[in-house]
Amino acid sequence: MSTRLILFFFLLMSQHVALTQTTISGIILDHKGKELPGANIMIKGSYDGTTADISGKFSFETSKEGFQILLIKMMGFKAVETVIECTGGEIEVGNLTLKEEITDMNAVTISAGALEASDENKAVVLRPLDIVTTPSAMGDITGALQTLPGTSTVGNDGRLFVRGGDASEVGIYIDGLFVGNAYGSRVANVPTRTRFNPNLFKGTFFSTGGYSAEFGQALSSALALSTKDLSVRNQGDLSIMSVGGGYSHTFSSEKQSITASANYFDLGPYQSLINQNFDFESPANGWDFEVASQKKLSKGGHLKALFRTEGGGMELWQPVPGVEGRGVRIKLNNDYTYGQANWSNFLSNDWTMFGGVSYSRNVDNILYDSLKIKNTGETLHAKTYGIKDFSDRISMKLGLEFFRQNYSEALPNENLQRNFKDNRIFAYTEWDWYLSSKLVFRTGLRAGSSDLSSQLWADPRVSFAFQISDASKVSLAAGTFNQMPVENFRVLNPNLANSEAKHLIANYFFQKEGRTFRAEAFYKGYNNLVTFDGNQMDMSNLQNEGEGYAQGLDIFFRDQSTIRNTDYWVTYSFVDSKRQFDQFETQVQPSFAPRHNFSLVIKHFITNLNSQIGFSFTANDGYTYTDPNLNGEMNSKTKSFQNLSLSWSYLPKPNLIIHLACTNVLGRENVFGYSFSQTPNEDGVYVSLPSGQVAPRFLFLGVFLTLSKDKTANQLNNL
Amino acid sequence: MKNLTLILVLAFMSSLTALASEYEEAMKAQIQKMNNISSDAEAQDVKNGFLRIAQANMSEWLPMYYAALVQTEAGLRFDVDKDAYFEEAQSYLKILQDAGASNSEITALEGYIMMGMVSVDPGSRGQSMSGPTMETFGKAIGQDRSNPRAVYLMAQMERGIAQFFGQGTEKACGMFKMSLDLFEKEKEKIDENYLLPSWGYEQAKQMYESCN
Repeated sequence: MSTRLILFFFLLMSQHVALTQTTISGIILDHKGKELPGANIMIKGSYDGTTADISGKFSFETSKEGFQILLIKMMGFKAVETVIECTGGEIEVGNLTLKEEITDMNAVTISAGALEASDENKAVVLRPLDIVTTPSAMGDITGALQTLPGTSTVGNDGRLFVRGGDASEVGIYIDGLFVGNAYGSRVANVPTRTRFNPNLFKGTFFSTGGYSAEFGQALSSALALSTKDLSVRNQGDLSIMSVGGGYSHTFSSEKQSITASANYFDLGPYQSLINQNFDFESPANGWDFEVASQKKLSKGGHLKALFRTEGGGMELWQPVPGVEGRGVRIKLNNDYTYGQANWSNFLSNDWTMFGGVSYSRNVDNILYDSLKIKNTGETLHAKTYGIKDFSDRISMKLGLEFFRQNYSEALPNENLQRNFKDNRIFAYTEWDWYLSSKLVFRTGLRAGSSDLSSQLWADPRVSFAFQISDASKVSLAAGTFNQMPVENFRVLNPNLANSEAKHLIANYFFQKEGRTFRAEAFYKGYNNLVTFDGNQMDMSNLQNEGEGYAQGLDIFFRDQSTIRNTDYWVTYSFVDSKRQFDQFETQVQPSFAPRHNFSLVIKHFITNLNSQIGFSFTANDGYTYTDPNLNGEMNSKTKSFQNLSLSWSYLPKPNLIIHLACTNVLGRENVFGYSFSQTPNEDGVYVSLPSGQVAPRFLFLGVFLTLSKDKTANQLNNL
Repeated sequence: MKNLTLILVLAFMSSLTALASEYEEAMKAQIQKMNNISSDAEAQDVKNGFLRIAQANMSEWLPMYYAALVQTEAGLRFDVDKDAYFEEAQSYLKILQDAGASNSEITALEGYIMMGMVSVDPGSRGQSMSGPTMETFGKAIGQDRSNPRAVYLMAQMERGIAQFFGQGTEKACGMFKMSLDLFEKEKEKIDENYLLPSWGYEQAKQMYESCN
């Protein structure tokens, strides 16, 4: 063996023979200069290292030699690397400062206007399950949101009314894509519901003002629903209810899942047993069919599709004030279809991309006495956006949207038709600036154009949040919000321009150990509201001439921890609103904006009965209306609205729920307004009829059974 | 020339073995420490040790797995911000999963963390999270039917749900028994160089004993 070879062999060996030891020591400080315990200090690529002690100090030995990288890591902080030279002996690196890393977990979020129901995020006011178990909601998303601050219950309508705004001022989105006619069609004071089942969604983001530049076409509020991700198991869900029934089946695999469901309801049998205040010729009935499918993509993205089609109708007699007999016969048939698909994924370079398309089609066939009316509305929405994280402190969102809207009103027997088509294009951008994990500014701009009204506009928006302590924060939001008038106005005057609202919101949010307190003050100014001559049935001279305001304060308190097995929330909203709109010649308090709104929801779990008892009480100080026997507009107010609802959910087995609920248990005769005769009678008096409730109470009984045959269940059963 | 090749190969192999055994020794020492944790400070130190091994051995799943396990158990045992601990543990599993690692032990630990999260606030989280937790354990069993931890953890969740619904715990107890049988089989494989997860036997035994 040659000497050179032996030398070479030893050189190789020497690579893992420790020759010298170097001791490295120092102190770890946080961004405020405070000693930071628990940091992980190491020589990069080796096992040598240690943990900083309670006073941030560290010291360890390494056998590495030469230039090495000293790496310090700690959850919530950015990693720090520094080059050292190990030559034996001791190295004192002195103070090393770690900068905090702003993550989803520690970053302050903006609460102004926002009310969130989610299992994933922390600063939320509701969990998705709360929506289903709120007694007055009867399983309707809107019903549950009506127990939250900033909303008013309008019992003969059922839709969402936010802070002095009418129902059309709430924009509803599923996975960011617009939903046209999200509520069932309604006639003659029969309240409606959201078409979509709450079980479809994993999260609900409900904003009562000051929302993101991502959302437009909404003067008052945005309701953004996000659909569930991949279902994990195959299962069947059977529901049998006092008003109908349905079946839903989910097929799932590792990467994708699909759920198909069909439901049928008919209030006929129920209404033949329980007397109704309304004079139904044919009670409400309907069917729906829905398919939702999810596919998981590599890198954590999703591909989702949702399709729903439904049909239904009702027929009833609406009494006419001052006229004997059953009144006017009104018949409604509704056909509705909604479909959407969206894709989202993470790209390289810290980009997150989203793209999607939705389509809604709604057809109402109405028979009013002998007059046949057919209203058809179609909306196509295409949207794409990208989010770029420049660092943990700055992120940008850029989006582009296109809306195509077709609407027509026809009188088939008279062969008359009027319609409009509109194309709208929007571009928006929004920037988040984190100055620290406790302080964030958000600036946004949304620009839009409409080819029908030949209008171009831009809405600037800004918001800010500051974390005061671990449990509390303040937020502010301000911005401009534009919305094209509703379809039945635009079809009469295609030149109508946007109505505009300006929001200013201040919010305080506190959350600690199962208790949430939220207080919010707001001011909203309205411009260019649509006014017309005549009345709702016969409008003319539509113009953007109205204006007004809404201001107020709302308070929310929820406590899940003080009383064992009990969860309750209390809401009070004060709204002072006046506006000139519709046929009003002066600024009036709208009928849908009661001044004082209160609700209390209590849920109590009785463990040994496997039951949850629900209680909800909603009240307001009454609805304004115009009494033509008196001077002025909106000169009267109904008595206070009150509704006490109870529910009982019994879970005898994990896969079986029996739910019994009753609204307005006390049978209070709520009145939402009055209708008056067109002309005074012989005594010179306009005769009135109250617009009341469909029935004093609504009773609901449902049995929900989940059947699953998947591997998990089999494994459970085999063991 | 033959000799040269032989020496080179031997030298190379010896350096490889040295590296490999360095990893094994470090892991063994950490696992030893892990089994003797009695405070959160010790837990953080052991977790950091595993994380150091992980950063030096990117292709191994065990160091990161143990870091997540230590953090999970610290969250369960000590008076700390439990959600933050569980979220940190989840973030370590996510690093593994993003790198394509998937096995019964990782999935079982994922379910264990979810179970810990439910225990923080069973009233409001139980209803929405216990289903997915059970499914995760089911998936872990599906990946390896001989994993005693997956069966033991599922049994514990099953017991919690049965107690919640006022039902008998027979099924859970049967599962505890089954996990004990699997633990016994696993024991045959364990020697002083065993690095794979082998925790859970004592807890499962205690649970099973409380059945009778």
